[in-house]
Amino acid sequence: MTVFEPKIVAFLCNWCAYAGADLAGVSRFQYPASIRTVRVMCSGRVDPVFVVQALQRGADGVLVAG
Amino acid sequence: MARKLLELSGIGEGRLHLAWVSSAEAQRFVEIVTTVTESVVRQGPFDPGAYPLALKAAEMTLDSEVVRWLAGKEVRITSRGDVYGRSWETERLEKVMDEVLAREYQKNLIYLAIGEGAVSVREISAATGLELMRISYLLTDLEKTNRIEFKGMHDHKPVFGVL
Repeated sequence: MTVFEPKIVAFLCNWCAYAGADLAGVSRFQYPASIRTVRVMCSGRVDPVFVVQALQRGADGVLVAG
Repeated sequence: MARKLLELSGIGEGRLHLAWVSSAEAQRFVEIVTTVTESVVRQGPFDPGAYPLALKAAEMTLDSEVVRWLAGKEVRITSRGDVYGRSWETERLEKVMDEVLAREYQKNLIYLAIGEGAVSVREISAATGLELMRISYLLTDLEKTNRIEFKGMHDHKPVFGVL
């Protein structure tokens, strides 16, 4: 049985979460490839409407990291 | 707010995850992504087709002036007080916010259901899952704001249409 690979839209704030993800990449940490990152300058930029729209357009989950 | 709307619409807040990760916490980022991925895998694929009205109503609600203006006032009202100088605790404001979100969401859901052809109160109840009394109550609101109109009696039941 094939494992379901979810599509998770991840809104990452440039200074914190995105930098953390970058560091994870540089340090060669392995993590699931299900997240599709969207870099924002501040997590406050993420309008709640984006979350609903992401689900409407095919995302299975949404992560907002600041 | 997005969480509350997902909960209200029956989609469940499990689809949205919020986290705080600092730029030095690479390991923690990995843990968070792994946890979120596992959680979403457990919930299964999200089918937007199963919730057409609910998602659209949620979007309309989050985009509405009432909700956005009230959310914008939160900091001021809980710290410096309202225009009369009264201060309010966050819990009180959140309770009001919850009621406003539920009411606006249900109104948008009813509006969309009428647009899709559910013209009598019973049809709207079947399409939205809301109770008859609640629908009647919110229909008055929608009429007053000129979003729907009373189209007449059909088989002794009132029917409505969108404007």
